[in-house]
Amino acid sequence: MNLFGLMETSGSAMQAERMRAEVVAANMANAETTRTESGGPYRRQHVVFAANQGSSVFQNTLEGAVEPAIAGGGIPLPSAISLTGNGAAPGVHIEQVVEDTALPLKRYDPGHPDAGPDGYVAYPDINPLTEMVDLMGATRAYGLNSSAVQAEKAMIASALEIAKS
Amino acid sequence: MKLQVETRLSDQLERFLDLTVSAAKLTAANMANIDTPGYQTLGMDFAAEMGDAMARMDAGAAARPVHIQTVEGLIARPDGNNVSMDREGLQLAEEQLKFKTGATLMRLENQRVLDAIHADK
Repeated sequence: MNLFGLMETSGSAMQAERMRAEVVAANMANAETTRTESGGPYRRQHVVFAANQGSSVFQNTLEGAVEPAIAGGGIPLPSAISLTGNGAAPGVHIEQVVEDTALPLKRYDPGHPDAGPDGYVAYPDINPLTEMVDLMGATRAYGLNSSAVQAEKAMIASALEIAKS
Repeated sequence: MKLQVETRLSDQLERFLDLTVSAAKLTAANMANIDTPGYQTLGMDFAAEMGDAMARMDAGAAARPVHIQTVEGLIARPDGNNVSMDREGLQLAEEQLKFKTGATLMRLENQRVLDAIHADK
């Protein structure tokens, strides 16, 4: 029984969701950025979430330890989840941050220093609505996991109560 | 009478608490992966696991790892993820209460044994 493993799981999710919110903030901050190091306008960033996988050694131990869910083994067992081992926490992590491939928006503004010869300026294709919805999702998921942490703290506290008499 | 500091009830409660933590761990994993594309909600049959653990305990066998299964009947989102925030919240609340009940019973059982030890006072 490892009660603190629970916190690692929820903690990994809180970390990932905060990173997602940071990326959204960066996107909104750069909604009008026309110059970047790589040249051209800023490109919208996305985060990609992936469930945590244990190390190969850990997975071997795990596959030997966990019996198939149904006799006959219809369902492939998720190798990331361990209830008995002390290996990697079954949580989540950000696999990568990818750049949106959408073409930049062209706005006619011949006075702008970054305007092309035709007088159009390339602006990042960032929709504040999409970003706000993403931010809301991140906030909700963060709150969900933080209330899970509260629940886990209460469980640990009640486990400590056993020792008191 | 045999001296039993660890009673049958305390052994049963130990298995019960272990199972509750396992269930909570699955719920926490589901919550953590609420935005992971393609993730399937994981769960366990608590009653069956508990029944099996009791039978094993009485037979003197060691506890076996928990059977994990994907939860059926949930609505999947377009990205293939079928974690429901409401279901997981409810699960966690239930597991928390179960754990508290088990921990309280365990404390009372320890107290009972202690009372028997200090019965001469």
